[in-house]
Amino acid sequence: MDNGMESMLDTYLYETNSLLDQLDEMLVADEKNGDFSSDDVNEIFRIMHTIKGSSAMMEFGSLATITHHIEDLFFYIRDKGIDSLNPEHKKELFNLMFRSEDYLRGEIAKVEEGSPLTENIDGFAKEINDFLKKISGTFVDGTEASSSEAGQSAVDDATDCPLPEDPEAECFLHVYLDEGVGMENLRAYMVVNALRECGIEFRYYPEDMESNSATSQKIIENGFFLAFTSQEDASQAEGVIRSQNHISSYELKSAPGKAEASSASVVSAPASNLDTAAVKAATPQMSASAPDTAPASPAAKSAVPQTHAPVKQSLISVNLMKLDSLMAIVGEIVITESMVTASPELQHLPRDSYDNFMKSGRQLRKLTDDLQDIAMSLRMVPISGVFQKMNRIVRDMKQSLNKDVRLTIVGEDTEVDKTIVDSIQDPIMHIVRNSMDHGIEETAEERIAAGKDPQGELILSASHTSSEVIISIADDGYGMDPDKLLAKARDKGLLTKPESEYSQKEALGLIMLPGFSTNEAVTEYSGRGVGMDVVRKNVESVGGTVTISSELGVGTTMTLKIPLTLAIVDGMKVVVGNSIFTIPISNIRQSFKVAPEEIILDEYGNEMVERMESFYPIVRLHDFYNLETEITSVEDGILLWVEASDRSYCLFVDELIGEQQVVVKPLPVFLSSFDLKNYGITGCTILGDGNISIILDILSLHTAAIENK
Amino acid sequence: MSEQIINENGQEQPIQEEPSTIERCLTFESGGLILFLSTKYVVEIINGYSVTHLPMVPPFIKGIINLRGQILPVVDIRLCMGKPEVEYTNKTCILVLDVDSLPMGIVVDSVRQVTDIDLTDVRPIPVKRQQKLLDGMLTMNDGSVVMSFDCHALAECRY
Repeated sequence: MDNGMESMLDTYLYETNSLLDQLDEMLVADEKNGDFSSDDVNEIFRIMHTIKGSSAMMEFGSLATITHHIEDLFFYIRDKGIDSLNPEHKKELFNLMFRSEDYLRGEIAKVEEGSPLTENIDGFAKEINDFLKKISGTFVDGTEASSSEAGQSAVDDATDCPLPEDPEAECFLHVYLDEGVGMENLRAYMVVNALRECGIEFRYYPEDMESNSATSQKIIENGFFLAFTSQEDASQAEGVIRSQNHISSYELKSAPGKAEASSASVVSAPASNLDTAAVKAATPQMSASAPDTAPASPAAKSAVPQTHAPVKQSLISVNLMKLDSLMAIVGEIVITESMVTASPELQHLPRDSYDNFMKSGRQLRKLTDDLQDIAMSLRMVPISGVFQKMNRIVRDMKQSLNKDVRLTIVGEDTEVDKTIVDSIQDPIMHIVRNSMDHGIEETAEERIAAGKDPQGELILSASHTSSEVIISIADDGYGMDPDKLLAKARDKGLLTKPESEYSQKEALGLIMLPGFSTNEAVTEYSGRGVGMDVVRKNVESVGGTVTISSELGVGTTMTLKIPLTLAIVDGMKVVVGNSIFTIPISNIRQSFKVAPEEIILDEYGNEMVERMESFYPIVRLHDFYNLETEITSVEDGILLWVEASDRSYCLFVDELIGEQQVVVKPLPVFLSSFDLKNYGITGCTILGDGNISIILDILSLHTAAIENK
Repeated sequence: MSEQIINENGQEQPIQEEPSTIERCLTFESGGLILFLSTKYVVEIINGYSVTHLPMVPPFIKGIINLRGQILPVVDIRLCMGKPEVEYTNKTCILVLDVDSLPMGIVVDSVRQVTDIDLTDVRPIPVKRQQKLLDGMLTMNDGSVVMSFDCHALAECRY
């Protein structure tokens, strides 16, 4: 596949995925209201139409066909008005649409993987068609079989077919549809509509084709007629018809009175989806000004909401790689700028020029700061995309688990770095599933007995602090029982200290251990014991933490705290020997000096210090990393009290240099075989003077220095 | 020098059936040995960079350097080959390599020259050895013996 095709495929996938997201959002919202709004019906029709067009262009047959059928269905609904459906049909329609969405997503996933698309789509297509038949009242069995014969014969005696009575008509177009396409009356009506959109004046026969499904048989046998008052209109219409789908042939006939001008010609119409898309895309504006030839027809209604003014997109989609490299370059600029302005040679400048230089330097700094802010904001996307997906999950699980739960979303406009959004989607999904499955009570009676609202509630909220995003998922279900968790952990042999020593927080934290699952039965959604530990791992991989709070009988809240961005960190520079380390400010609670007598030793000589009535272990960085330094006695150096996730300890370093915003760079790939990540080294950064500082990860340093000592 | 190479090539062309076995190679010294490496892997030769030490890595990983914003790992191949560590001099330099788009730097004692080496002349080393960083040897026109440095082995940590 060449490059052009590849980028086209990228665009296609991006576009289609966002359309499906939009569809999903709409469906979930509409289902909540129990009804489609007419705007949404139009929108769904438009979405299906767009996907159909682009899929056909990319030659993804199954996608094009399915969307085409859904388009037909919504064409009908749009035309009839959604109110013509009874509630039962609507419910069925919702389910059908959700399944279609899943189906389309499944096919898109196949496209993404490069695996072949489903070839046998007849079953699903038929389902959609059956539904359309059901709501349009044409529930004729065996239509398929008879239609092909009928279609055959129709072509044969086409010329015998009488022309409809229309004294004003100058000429007629006699159109035949493809054999066995199904719902011939509606397809014929679609052709009529397409013509009308082009502003051509004409009448059509049978006149009741769009409301009377019985005409479909007639159309199969005899085709349908379009009557024009002038030859020009007719030839213009020919052009449109040629681009329509499912037309097997058409014939231009002069009205009986003007037979001498006849130039009857039968042409087979090439069916091409592409052309249709083009014609339809170009027509909405025209239909607004087009003189409506049949004001009495119910279709006039549908023409009005369809006239969307083309909305100019002020958004562009950019490859994330480009943003990454922009971010990297901006980071370099910020560093280089401070290198230039801090250059020692400047001291030799004469006083006046030095002042001038510094003035320009300050201006440059302001600009680079702005540039950095903008570059960072480019990568920020609202979290609503992730939250919307939860809507769908809650909806599906509500049905399959038969629980009544409402999902409340708070703060969906909160913006997060794109890479973070991608990595927290799965954890959030998992927590939501857990809450739905195990959190919320099995039955409404149980909830009533517990004095709660029979409808369960799941609150998904997101908010910002200056440096992190806080996402919480709260349910008002059973809540967790620390004693039960402890018993379970004991059975599984996961306890590391006597049961009585576990605090409530620690007991709740047990569910995040690998191999822990409280539910005896494994369900489709959760309970395989590969749950919360993966959640924690995922969240920690983006520098975040997970905390759980739960009250028995009241509910459970899971809180994810995630740094706003990964690319730039506020760091504290510390010196150990000749090395400079950077510790994220967000991990530092306090720094303090201690006297040697404040150090408490255990029987192995491990050092500890008391802080706020708790004891914390001390990790000497020079010991741990084997660095040479002159500062080894406690009173010469300084202690940094650090905290990550639920682990807290003190680091002993030579001295603090100061705070700086640093651009995080990953360590070279070559070094990945040494597993430095597990020894507290996550990356490095280039300091203002061009030297490199190593960025420490407080969490994995704890694991390496204390837990696995 | 370059004239000479052209002459050599000119003479060899009719005899040599596959001229592609001749590669331009950089020769350098490390740990008392003369080594060579195809120039297609060498990006540049730098010196005077301060290497940032990394904890928790074997001693032959000297650390990382900041090469114009790119973080580059630096390996002292003298230590890789089990030779004792020596004080770096002003002849010591870092060869920046790009081995199958994996960038890295290697510390060598000194760099000699770029020369053409016919790969068909390279013989295997007939001794069983612990480390596999060198994968061949040949005698140069001036009588010195050079050994082929296998940078893939270094990149894939096969040493």
